[in-house]
Amino acid sequence: MAATRAKRTPTQTMTSVVYWVLLGLVIERPSYGLELYHRFQRMYGDLLSVKSESHVYGALNSLEKRKLIETIPGTGVARQPKPHYKATQNGAHSYQDWLVTQVDDEPRRQELLVRQLGIFADDPAAALRLVGRFEEQHLKSAAPAARLPGVPRDSRAELIEDLVAERRRLADGGMLKWLHYAEDRIEARAGRPYVDDPPRT
Amino acid sequence: MILLELEHVSKRSRRGVRDALDDVSLAIDEGELVTVWGERRSGRSTLLRIAAGIETPDTGVVRFAGGDLVDRGDKKLGEGIGYCRTAFRASAGQHIVDLLAATQLARGIPRSTARSRAWKALERVGAKECATRTSEELNGEELVRVAIARALACEPRLLVIDEPTIGVELIARDGILALLRSIADYGIAILASTGEGTGFLGADRVLALHKGTLRGEITPAFAPVTELDRHRQARG
Repeated sequence: MAATRAKRTPTQTMTSVVYWVLLGLVIERPSYGLELYHRFQRMYGDLLSVKSESHVYGALNSLEKRKLIETIPGTGVARQPKPHYKATQNGAHSYQDWLVTQVDDEPRRQELLVRQLGIFADDPAAALRLVGRFEEQHLKSAAPAARLPGVPRDSRAELIEDLVAERRRLADGGMLKWLHYAEDRIEARAGRPYVDDPPRT
Repeated sequence: MILLELEHVSKRSRRGVRDALDDVSLAIDEGELVTVWGERRSGRSTLLRIAAGIETPDTGVVRFAGGDLVDRGDKKLGEGIGYCRTAFRASAGQHIVDLLAATQLARGIPRSTARSRAWKALERVGAKECATRTSEELNGEELVRVAIARALACEPRLLVIDEPTIGVELIARDGILALLRSIADYGIAILASTGEGTGFLGADRVLALHKGTLRGEITPAFAPVTELDRHRQARG
């Protein structure tokens, strides 16, 4: 147990997505707290929430304690130059390692969903209804995700937006294929064609 | 305003062993882009052919602009509905602009008007440079653009297109879908099919077809005033 504890680095215990995202913003461009807060809101405000600027300052302190970022003297002309933060080499490496672990996260979530659906394996009517609801929900969200960008953007934002949208559309198509496969398998197991609530004779 | 309406449409497959379409209902508004997702043999091509009036359903009603499409005989295409075909097999050696004009001549459009419309349609889809080439000289993307132009030259109110991005290189795919979106924004309704989620780009509604049944929001949602304004502006 003690050996395991000794191997741990401080980043392994950092579970807050907000902290990691903030580290990413510092890697993207060294900056000061308030600017990082505004950039966070602009880029991730619809996905993650930070309660206030002080939340960001707290996170920056924590990242600094973990030696993922470091303070560089402020260069502004204000009376009290703001402390700027930049990522350490350890911070940049740790961030990339964390990103790779996120790729594993999605299949895990999907598997969780499938296992939960499996609870209804012996109740085909309920399972099919659930699959139908998944599909309905998915089709509802597919069109808004498919919208074309309407305003001219800079090429960096355009790249991010396009990559996010493509990822989403591919996932939508894959999900529909999976739902239809699940429907076929549930029906086959129940004896095709499965009829929900057959009429009484 | 509802332009195309399918009510309880069913169709047995050619071999008659299964339902290609099973009690399908669908309504499409003017200027709406509806994409139907389905795997092979899901019935998606049958749905599109019935919507275009090329095939007749076994049961059910298909209405276009308020009239029964089944009763329109051979006047379905060219009178409001454009069905995009990328096959130009019988056209060996013929210039694209002549092919597009020939499609209209067959419908009684005067030669000068037909050629002028053909040029305009090619320009509209970004394929003007294809005008004096032959179909054998076109790549996948150009073939699709020209197919759309051929349908647009007949000034349809509804465009039906089966898998618009099939055979199109990945990098050109979004351009085709953006073109369809712009055509819909101009007020022309579009019914498209896709086998991939990537084909959803630009759609107002995404539906799924599985084993002949259509799932999703089969009627258009209420169009907000801003959307109507957008359509009006696009039409100029």
